[in-house]
Amino acid sequence: MEEIAEKFAAYLSHKMPQASALAVEGISRIHGGASRETYRLTARWQEGGKEVSRPLILRRDPVASLIETERDLEFNAYRAFHPTGVPVPEPLFLETDEKWLERSFFVMEQIEGCQAASPFSPDPYGELAPKIGPQFFTILGKIAAQDPGAIGLGESMEKPAPEECWKRELDYWEGEIDKDTLIAQPIAKGAIRWLRRNPPPPPKELRVVHGDYRTGNFLFNDAGEIKSILDWEMCHLGDPLEDLAWACDPLWAFENEEKPGGLLPRAEALKLWEEASGLTIDPKAFAWWEIFAMVKGLAIWISAGKEYQAGNNTDPVMALSSWYCTDVHNRLLSKRMQEIAEEEAA
Amino acid sequence: MKPDVPLVLQHSFGKLLLEVAPNLTAEYAVGNTSVIGLMMFMSAAEFERGAQLRAEENAEMRAIFEETGGLGLPGDLQKRLGAAAGGREASLLISDLDAENDRLKTLLIELQAALEELDSQPARKLGARIWGFLRQAAEKRKLPYPSIG
Repeated sequence: MEEIAEKFAAYLSHKMPQASALAVEGISRIHGGASRETYRLTARWQEGGKEVSRPLILRRDPVASLIETERDLEFNAYRAFHPTGVPVPEPLFLETDEKWLERSFFVMEQIEGCQAASPFSPDPYGELAPKIGPQFFTILGKIAAQDPGAIGLGESMEKPAPEECWKRELDYWEGEIDKDTLIAQPIAKGAIRWLRRNPPPPPKELRVVHGDYRTGNFLFNDAGEIKSILDWEMCHLGDPLEDLAWACDPLWAFENEEKPGGLLPRAEALKLWEEASGLTIDPKAFAWWEIFAMVKGLAIWISAGKEYQAGNNTDPVMALSSWYCTDVHNRLLSKRMQEIAEEEAA
Repeated sequence: MKPDVPLVLQHSFGKLLLEVAPNLTAEYAVGNTSVIGLMMFMSAAEFERGAQLRAEENAEMRAIFEETGGLGLPGDLQKRLGAAAGGREASLLISDLDAENDRLKTLLIELQAALEELDSQPARKLGARIWGFLRQAAEKRKLPYPSIG
């Protein structure tokens, strides 16, 4: 850990030539960031005769990851949303030269005095849930309300045709399953075939999709205020219902299908999202994206298992994701698909 | 092997979570210790039931394959299903059961896709029966999750 601190101090000195006597203190790795190595630290330096102290977050590419993403995508999303009122940390530096820390990384503001809940706790927010819930779905609606071009993301991201959004995502995640699976997946493959036979109506407009908006991916304080939305590494342009369906997936609510995120009743959550986004939920499209969310989840857990089995990343959370999350999504998805199959056979 | 393996794993989970993790200072180590303990708790159940679950699933898939006569399946699929239906486990080792489970599930996927293409009432009925099997199998594989605090 001290070696990383020293190397990172050298990097900051290079980026901030006006700073002198720069030191990195209190560096510790944060548990759970399975797609990037995440470190909390404080940088101290002298500048203009004054001592400056700044708590920072360092996100470094891993050797192998739960999901394969480009760090500049996440950095650009933080930069785009920071001025919009959507709470995100201030992004500071993006570095792709591997000479500094052996792998690419970026640096951002550390949001102090906050915590992220475990997505696998039966009651992650306790008595704060009624306060956090409305913010959670309102912020997601605000993300969906943004014009991607107006916040600088229109040019840097691939723009699928609205009627192609579903196919682009499904093709990608099916490809991940086919590439990484260690055992045949009849539940995922059956659901994918159904999704292809029953495509959703297209969104009226392309919007920014966070890609992993869920319990555990935001910071809140003791007063129940959401202070930061994190983990934008899967963000893309697409149908905003993709995000809403992912946020409502029962995996993030200890399998409670009627209380998304373990936060508030489903109908209330959807209404808050509609009010904040200015969009109307098409029930047929939303039902499609809910099934897709489970397929996407399975793809992520399957890939995590493959990386662990291959020895590329033996972080225990990779194995747990593959065991536990695959188990939950296989049960939820097979239940939904059996219901559909019985309707079709009747 | 005594004491029983599931019991040893469950007690080890308790020791890790309640005695080891609280005495660690690094956040990353605490998180990892808790996750390892949780997986030991899950492994306790899987050690006891793993072979039985896989053998039951394999037997049920062979039974489904026996019900596919007269559906008009394409190519040599019917023949391959028939051969698989008459198969047996090579051994009760988890690795052997997993390999056979994978082979049968691969064939099951092919059968599901073929039934969807046929689009007849008997095909839809068997398709629904397969989903019923998959749901039941997934439920039986449900991993236990400890009640903590």
